[in-house]
Amino acid sequence: MFVIFPLFFSFYLSFHKWNMFSSESVFVGFENYGSLIRSSEFWMVLKNTLIYTLGTVPLNMALALLVAYFLNKKIAGKRILRTAFFTPVIMSSVAAAVIWRWVYEPNFGLLNYLLSWFGIPAINWLNDPTAAMFALIMMGVWKTLGVNMVLFSAGLQGIPEHYYEAAEIDGAGKWQRFWSITLPLLSPTTFFILVMSVIGSFQVFDTVYVLTSGGPLGTTKVLVFYLYEHAFKFFEMGYASAVAYLLFAIIFVLTMLQTKYFKGSVHYTM
Amino acid sequence: MLLVLALSFCSVQLTGCGGKKEESQDKVSITFWHSCVSSTVPALNELIAKFAEDHPSIEVKAQYVPTGDALIQKLVTAVQSKTAPDISWIHANFLQDLVQADAIYKMEEFISGSDSLSQNDMQDIFPSLLQEAKWRGTLYSLPMEATNLGLLYNRQLFRNAGLDPDRPPRTWEELREYAQKLTLDKNGDGKYEQMGFFVPVFPSSGPLSDWMVWQWYPFLFQAGGNVINAEQSRVLFNSDAGVKALTLWKTIYHELKLGSFTIDYEVAFASNQLAMAIDGPWNLPRWRQMKNLDWMIAPLPAGPAKRATIVGGEYLAIFKQSRHAQEAWTFVKWMLKPEVQALWSMKSGYLPVRRGVMEIPEYQSFLAANPGLKAYVEQLAEGQAPNPIDFNGLKISRAVAEAIEKATLGKMDPKEMLDEAAEKSNKLLQTAEKNRDQ
Repeated sequence: MFVIFPLFFSFYLSFHKWNMFSSESVFVGFENYGSLIRSSEFWMVLKNTLIYTLGTVPLNMALALLVAYFLNKKIAGKRILRTAFFTPVIMSSVAAAVIWRWVYEPNFGLLNYLLSWFGIPAINWLNDPTAAMFALIMMGVWKTLGVNMVLFSAGLQGIPEHYYEAAEIDGAGKWQRFWSITLPLLSPTTFFILVMSVIGSFQVFDTVYVLTSGGPLGTTKVLVFYLYEHAFKFFEMGYASAVAYLLFAIIFVLTMLQTKYFKGSVHYTM
Repeated sequence: MLLVLALSFCSVQLTGCGGKKEESQDKVSITFWHSCVSSTVPALNELIAKFAEDHPSIEVKAQYVPTGDALIQKLVTAVQSKTAPDISWIHANFLQDLVQADAIYKMEEFISGSDSLSQNDMQDIFPSLLQEAKWRGTLYSLPMEATNLGLLYNRQLFRNAGLDPDRPPRTWEELREYAQKLTLDKNGDGKYEQMGFFVPVFPSSGPLSDWMVWQWYPFLFQAGGNVINAEQSRVLFNSDAGVKALTLWKTIYHELKLGSFTIDYEVAFASNQLAMAIDGPWNLPRWRQMKNLDWMIAPLPAGPAKRATIVGGEYLAIFKQSRHAQEAWTFVKWMLKPEVQALWSMKSGYLPVRRGVMEIPEYQSFLAANPGLKAYVEQLAEGQAPNPIDFNGLKISRAVAEAIEKATLGKMDPKEMLDEAAEKSNKLLQTAEKNRDQ
């Protein structure tokens, strides 16, 4: 009820003009979609979202695999480390963003303080058009690393030990074992993480809202923030619904593309 | 998205509970939504206690809602779900949405009703405030308090820089000059530890966007400009005056390298890292608490045309969903009494909404002892409210905000940016014109 109704209602709204107050909405056909595609701001927002996705997803996956790989070995304190890496995931993202605001604070912030040790001049992370997106990406990676780490760990533990033993007997080195056994057998997990991470980063909102609210100069305005603005700042429900459905279409196409191009390299057994 | 929904659900539940808690039947309880900053909350509690003394049969329940976007969002959701408060404080730019939703009463119904407000009382209220309380010429709200903007400065930092703390900058040129003298790189690392002046540049898509624009308008006025024409058919902010005002902001912004300074000016000022900032009277209780901060308020410096500041306020609107509209009116009317206005102003720092308050001896002696408040009150005379924008006000404010952000932070040409914003705004005004005729 609470899922299905808004789903269809917003689809209906995307063909209407409605300001949330008036009892009637005016049918406008594809006008919302049309003005959306004609708006230069929309394309800028889409570009920002792509930058965010390209920034977070590969970095996140590489780091998550790295962490999972080392925490899969028998090392001391691995439970504590796993917990540490997973903590950001369970943290409320608004609370986390508030913490990061202080980390990024230009005058008293932790990050600038650390950088000053290496003689790097202070950067106004959240208010510099070239740095703000980078700041968001760093926080995005930090926030979701834990989930992917757990998924990768599960994948790693699912690889039977005897493959490695056989490879070792055949004289395969560490790297060779990693490239020829671990990576291919991990590919279902990797594929799943890729799809989910792309979807997740296209939907990023709360951290943007708290950290930069789309600024400076709109450099961190992403799709869902744009949607939020139109829905709850200007009360253009129809337009906002059109953004939502376009977002859905984009994610859908991207997921199809990923399935088409990566499915071939997913191996379930050797 | 989730956050917004969660917040609005909370609000629904809170008001729901509020309604049920009426203790006795002869006592009427009314909910009052406000966005008083934390330093003025104690004053608000005192105010409500005073009201309870005067009207024992009415209980006012004050609920805090963050200002700006959050407040209007909550009001919209509340109206939709039939859980609107009895009274809410609102800003002038909410009126279009609230009136079109038929959510609030026309004030005339109460003013000339059984418990009427006299013509004398109405004429005593500052006309610029009444103008903002109206939508398309009809009064839908009444002011609770007035505000304007002044120059907040740190006297100790003035002395340290060899400047006379009793002679704050009086012109734009002096403001620029003082700002440079007060900006210091103490340890020679190429980064300023002390900032002379804060040019309020915030993300135009963020919650502080309207606040940035509101601080820019007085500079526009000081250069002899205006925001929009009286017929609301064309914006005027891209005039020469607008270009001068924005160029001043841009110049100071880059001279002081404000791009690498925090945007949390209140914290910076409180920690003696900022010498001057534009500020409003609602912060007076906050500064008064800081005993080791030697601060003062001065009128905003005069521009090439004149001295000017912007006048605004918070307005009380009564919701049609209220079951106790008459009691809500009792509160609104009581709030306008000169002695209540004086009390509220002395406690909260906000300015009185009517001239009569100035004649109260107690208020006069309070002003004499509180030069900060006095500076704001004296500025009321040169205060100016922008002409009303009945339609698309929020979007026009957004266009101006983008121009300011692009010209300062983005180093673009002020004239081009203002022209671009004006073109966008004029289009919005034209579509509004069409809708109006329908």
